[in-house]
Amino acid sequence: MMMAGGTLPGMLAQGIAAHRGWIALALAALVLLALAPLYLSPFHVRVAQLFLLSAALAIAWSLLGGFAGYWSFGHTAFIGLGAFVAGLVETGWTWPSPALAFAVGLLAGALACALLAGLIAYPILRLRGIYFAIAMLGVAQVLGELNNSIDAFKGTMGIVLPQLAPRAVEPATFYYYLLLVAAAVTLAIGFAVKVSRLGYGLLSIREDEDTARMLGVPTERYKIQTFVLSAVLTGVLGIIYAHSLGFITAGSVYRTDFSLNMIVYALLGGMGTLIGPVIGAGIMVVLTQIVLGRLLDTHMFITGALLVILVMLAPRGIVGFVKPILARWRGGFR
Amino acid sequence: MNAPLLRVAGVTKRFRGVVAVNDVSLDVPAGSICGLIGPNGAGKSSLFNLITGYLPLTAGEIWFAGRRIDGMDTHLIAEAGIARGFQIAKPFPELSVLDNVRMGALFGRAGPRDVAAATEGALALTGLADLADRPAMTLTVGYLRRLELARAIAQRPVLLLADEPCAGLNPTETEEIVGILRQVRDRGVTILLVEHDMRAVMSVSDRIFVLDAGSKIAEGAPAEVARDPRVIAAYLGAPEAAG
Repeated sequence: MMMAGGTLPGMLAQGIAAHRGWIALALAALVLLALAPLYLSPFHVRVAQLFLLSAALAIAWSLLGGFAGYWSFGHTAFIGLGAFVAGLVETGWTWPSPALAFAVGLLAGALACALLAGLIAYPILRLRGIYFAIAMLGVAQVLGELNNSIDAFKGTMGIVLPQLAPRAVEPATFYYYLLLVAAAVTLAIGFAVKVSRLGYGLLSIREDEDTARMLGVPTERYKIQTFVLSAVLTGVLGIIYAHSLGFITAGSVYRTDFSLNMIVYALLGGMGTLIGPVIGAGIMVVLTQIVLGRLLDTHMFITGALLVILVMLAPRGIVGFVKPILARWRGGFR
Repeated sequence: MNAPLLRVAGVTKRFRGVVAVNDVSLDVPAGSICGLIGPNGAGKSSLFNLITGYLPLTAGEIWFAGRRIDGMDTHLIAEAGIARGFQIAKPFPELSVLDNVRMGALFGRAGPRDVAAATEGALALTGLADLADRPAMTLTVGYLRRLELARAIAQRPVLLLADEPCAGLNPTETEEIVGILRQVRDRGVTILLVEHDMRAVMSVSDRIFVLDAGSKIAEGAPAEVARDPRVIAAYLGAPEAAG
């Protein structure tokens, strides 16, 4: 029987030991993805870039949605807020270099997301289940609307973001690597959360919040911390995404389909796991961009239908579907 | 006698006019097992909800280990050393037995370095070690009761509030739970026990408090309480005749 201690380094070490296989797999995937621009066509590199963004966003969403069971229907609020705060800061002043502008923008955008999440966390995280989901939907709508209608925020005019890629590097390749790093960092943070005391606490909140409190889990603090963490990660990804676009309007970063996709990926892959959102994002991106990409008229319809079928076949996600089969398999070899 | 570990002083809880707990005072001495009995609706579980901070008091004070705890946040009361097992077992259904118990240890008083030891100890004491990898929702009622206790024990509490740990169990299983409670007490944990199984509660308790319709109607050693006419009346429903 594997037994974990309770110190953070102890739990991390234990978590790494217990997940050696997964970590090896993640590192292998990282190498494969890092070499992708060498063997993939530019189109497929763009697909891979979309996969990285989608998977990382879904992981960031999952910290609160998957682990603690608080489903946000409005995480695009943080993509939009991060992107616009960064954009306004980067273009509002003259910076000596694009890299410095980006660093300051990234910091400001992340801080804005942390502030917003911290401010709304206390009232909004008292709402449970569907009420929290709807409240977040409202937050995203309000924020998008404000950004759009107040001229100073340039939501309608749009912002041209500074080009970060050095002259010698193809911008597409540059943003691919930037997103690869961001996705890897997001996954690593997700892993640290999962195997730590915080991760256990979030699970107990998902399972039964009242019982968790009586066990001594500081449920309020954990929910707020995780909400802020999730918001910051989402914001950072939004900022990188915005730079990869080069030009943003409120409509291009406050997008309900972003919010929904994060949920769909996590749901499809397996709620409450880390690999789930990655698998879900992988399947959906390949499906929509490659398999169905040519069927322009019908592809939304087919995507929806496939989603329904997948969810009906595997209501607990791909991970929940495959896990018992793998367990039986291993049992058979013993 | 030493100062009591838990002192409930004049505690009242009203739910919109209905008095669930009415001016109840009781002292639980450190190192004892105290039984809290009474007919259904007497206010036993309500009292547990008040002690754990799950509900606010209407009046009165609750002191634990020299500290006033009423008004404190639930998780801080748990941190102070009060663990609770529920009447309806509330394990985390999707998690394994091991993770359920570890959850108690992680957020209890074991200290980071002792989480493993607290988890193992609680599993061993409750006879759940062999079922550690099973999802909690696949356990039978008897094992769910043990898991409920195991999680509370893993918290390394000073005071264990056990709410009907024997409910729905057969006599053999009841004996086993009583045995576990004794062992927990022998390790220095004070226990306040709500239980309907009279044989169990009379045999294990050092002292018994009787609630009826929200008020404390009797208190004393098990044998005294069993003879008390008011207690007999409360249980048998005989009105003034008995008193």
